[in-house]
Amino acid sequence: MPTNDSKPIVQVENLHKWFDLLHVLRGVSFTVDPQEVLVLIGRSGSGKSTLLRCLNMLEEPSAGSITIGPVSVRVEPGKHVDRRQATAIRLQTGMVFQEFNLFPHMTALQNVIEGLVTVKKLPREEAAAIGEKYLDKVGLLPKRDVHPVRLSGGQKQRVAIARSLAMEPKVLLFDEPTSALDPELIGEVLDVMRRLALEGTTMMVVTHEMSFASDVADRVLYLDHGVIVEQGPPTQILKSPQDERTAVFLRSFLESRGD
Amino acid sequence: MDLSNVMQPGDRASDPDWEMGLRLLAVQRRRRLAFAVRLAAVWLALVAALAFVLLQLNVDPLYAVDHSAFVLQGVLTTIGVSMASISVATVLALLGALGKLSRSSIAQGIAGFYVSLIRGTPLLIQIYLIYLGLPQIGQQFANRGMPGIGGMLTLNAIQSGILALSVNYGAYMTEIFRAGIQSIGHGQREAAKSIGMGEWHILRRVILPQAVRVIIPDIGNQFIAMQKDSSLVSIMGIWEITYRANRLARKDIKFMEMFLLAAAIYWFMTIVSSWAEGWLERRLSHAYER
Ligand SMILES: Nc1ncnc2c1ncn2[C@@H]1O[C@H](COP(=O)(O)OP(=O)(O)OP(=O)(O)O)[C@@H](O)[C@H]1O
Ligand SMILES: [Mg+2]
Repeated sequence: MPTNDSKPIVQVENLHKWFDLLHVLRGVSFTVDPQEVLVLIGRSGSGKSTLLRCLNMLEEPSAGSITIGPVSVRVEPGKHVDRRQATAIRLQTGMVFQEFNLFPHMTALQNVIEGLVTVKKLPREEAAAIGEKYLDKVGLLPKRDVHPVRLSGGQKQRVAIARSLAMEPKVLLFDEPTSALDPELIGEVLDVMRRLALEGTTMMVVTHEMSFASDVADRVLYLDHGVIVEQGPPTQILKSPQDERTAVFLRSFLESRGD
Repeated sequence: MDLSNVMQPGDRASDPDWEMGLRLLAVQRRRRLAFAVRLAAVWLALVAALAFVLLQLNVDPLYAVDHSAFVLQGVLTTIGVSMASISVATVLALLGALGKLSRSSIAQGIAGFYVSLIRGTPLLIQIYLIYLGLPQIGQQFANRGMPGIGGMLTLNAIQSGILALSVNYGAYMTEIFRAGIQSIGHGQREAAKSIGMGEWHILRRVILPQAVRVIIPDIGNQFIAMQKDSSLVSIMGIWEITYRANRLARKDIKFMEMFLLAAAIYWFMTIVSSWAEGWLERRLSHAYER
């Protein structure tokens, strides 16, 4: 649970992103407190992925400012983000992708320690010890020497989570981490995420798993056409949304799911 | 993917039609074997027919056999020139591909110019330019008080051959490397970036190991083509297979004998190279097998 008096660990102010003339993020501002779990919802194309990708500098923001931990980046319109600053921000964040994106030519352990060895320049044994710790955390230590082809989708995603965790980022970003999984494999990934939340990992999660949102989120944020139209505790946003757009989205979403 | 629902081969106990399956499998195997035998027979017949015709036409196989040792001494030279050239060409191709994929206009310009120029001109002309053309301008440098540069531009036959083959194949292989690098999904680069890896590490540890596996068959084909194209360096008097065959053929007027012998040697070398490439390909795909 977030503590009220702590300084936010993520601070985003007036973030804009254009793809040519497509104005995808239209002045997004929010903060994330340490140990907070933020769930981001919104219809397809509303800009959820773009927002996460801007936080990790996989997309270059067009304007606005982002502060994560000690690193602050202010983007002036028409200017490129300095490469060193982009890397600094990236090291404060970890990203878990819908498609896992594990490195297929490396074993599970090699995947997890790749950043430790190449970026943090740790000696191999030290990196391996850290890697094993995080593989164990996601319950996959027995698979340390297995290549990704021999892992199930759920196992792949758990290795991907361990790979992000190993870099010890300030905040973990999840972009629909269970959307590419067969239904019976979703649970094991959500369980890992639940455990991380309990341990106090700061997370931002884009997901369509509403039960996960209502159980685990400290705050739910509804994004519509690149604007945050509503945010609050899950009970409020999911059960009795104030904004008409949120209500319509949730209603149509629940109908399409048939529950 | 979940494979638990996919059909697996049954066994004697659970499949009442097991015997029928066995019989069908045996028939299938016999058909395949018979086909392979017929195929081999066709090859043999072709070789025999060719040999028969040549013997009727006064071609002397014993001459080729007697002088094969002399020609075979050129095999090492051919292999050496090809190996050296494919190595340098690989480096050039990698640089070319990186240039083509780079965001810098200078790098893109240089790479594009190189590929276009080299692919648009004959290899033989490139050999002449390097072996005969370069020393000519080297002489100019020497005359103007720069003997160092002059010497550098005056290459012997072997050096010229390797340089020409490398530059030529480097241009063709640039496209192979570019396609190989681009075939690696964007997600790989993004995942590497997201853990903070820099461009150099992404290339060396994530992209290239995967791209190399994709392009190994193409590089193998290039190596095979190069072994054959290396016969062109015989015009500079390098004592490789073609030069040696040519020398005897002219001396004793045994063209059919000696050039068929040379052809057979090249053929054999390319078959061995194909096998080696297949072996390497299987080794590199180890990580990708379930
Ligand atoms: N690289 C890009 N170039 C151009 N347009 C893009 C690019 N990436 C995203 N977009 C556009 O930006 C808009 C927002 O995309 P984004 O992927 O952020 O939406 P999303 O909320 O994640 O949707 P989904 O739920 O389908 O994943 C979409 O209209 C999309 O087509
Ligand atoms: Mg998305």
